[in-house]
Amino acid sequence: MTTATLYRYSGAWQGPVLQWRRPRTCPFLLRHRNAHLKSVRMIRPILIHPDPRLKKPCEPIAAITPDIVALAQDMLQTMYDAPGIGLAAPQVGVMKRLIVMDCEKRPEATPQPMVLVNPVVLWASEELSTYEEGCLSIPDQYADVQRPAEVRVGWTDLDGAAQERQFDGLWATCVQHEIDHLAGKLFIDYLGPLKRQMITRKMEKLKRELARG
Amino acid sequence: MAVRRCLPWPHPVLKAPAADVPAITDEVRSLWADMIDTMDAMPGYGLAAVQIGVPLRLAVVDCSEKRGQAVRMANPVVLHASGQFREHDEASPNLPLVSAVISRPRAVTVRFLNDQGLWEDRDFVDLWATSVQHQIDHLAGKMYFDHLSSLRRKMLIARSEKLRGKK
Repeated sequence: MTTATLYRYSGAWQGPVLQWRRPRTCPFLLRHRNAHLKSVRMIRPILIHPDPRLKKPCEPIAAITPDIVALAQDMLQTMYDAPGIGLAAPQVGVMKRLIVMDCEKRPEATPQPMVLVNPVVLWASEELSTYEEGCLSIPDQYADVQRPAEVRVGWTDLDGAAQERQFDGLWATCVQHEIDHLAGKLFIDYLGPLKRQMITRKMEKLKRELARG
Repeated sequence: MAVRRCLPWPHPVLKAPAADVPAITDEVRSLWADMIDTMDAMPGYGLAAVQIGVPLRLAVVDCSEKRGQAVRMANPVVLHASGQFREHDEASPNLPLVSAVISRPRAVTVRFLNDQGLWEDRDFVDLWATSVQHQIDHLAGKMYFDHLSSLRRKMLIARSEKLRGKK
């Protein structure tokens, strides 16, 4: 292999790059642009911890198929709807190495949606940063987690091209949190056993209440 | 190539299991070269990628008398370990100035992806075996002092901090 890239997969889908927008602002435009995909964009249900699928490592994606593109669109829509700043495929019950994120929090700024296929951390900084993390699969629970302040991440984009970028600040925290999901790891795994069990019990209770209706 | 900085313990990357390498590419080869430079600069008998802040399952080992015999490995796993043990005074650049005697199997058979991108099974004995097992532990988020009892481990970490003039 002579390519200078770590994560290149053959058989990539060479379709058009779509510009994502927040669905609330332009629902018609989105449907129109994606009409050729013949798939209905939808908000997928997010799995709530504890769930065995959130504990399992995910499979790498071998090729970017239209199904993967549709999954990425659905995940972005699900994430914006929640609202959240990142979402990993296992959170919607798909055991594939795919994450989406947009850490642009200011409402006036243009959205910066990112889709990362087969993301891998290539380097982590010595400096650490602490951030109060939450998770769409663990609603309304927050805790401080310490992670490297900067990371370089390699991934494949939806055109099948290898990408590499250094993330810092909230983006770094978010990308590491999402990549952890692909290894079956949640942010509560960084906490002490007492705190983790407390959160898990609360989630079990929440799931029982949701099931009851 | 370049000598990279080793992360100081404790650091989350040193405590978490590393990710498998999907394929041996030029980037992996240049990373191995950096790791060998870093190892030779100490000098050390081996180095795992997590030690320089790269959470991938890559390691290099060189226990030869005259350097330059480095074995490059990706995704290494121990297939078999001998029943006979061997003790060695182990140390790490991530926790400088201290060392501890660790007992590990004297010989191991390890399967890994070599620099040709092929799976290779190789036997290591004595110092080579000790170093290979030490590196594979790193890739699982484990340090050599995690083999010690909790009291000895705590004392070792405290001594390193004292000698480095920390706190």
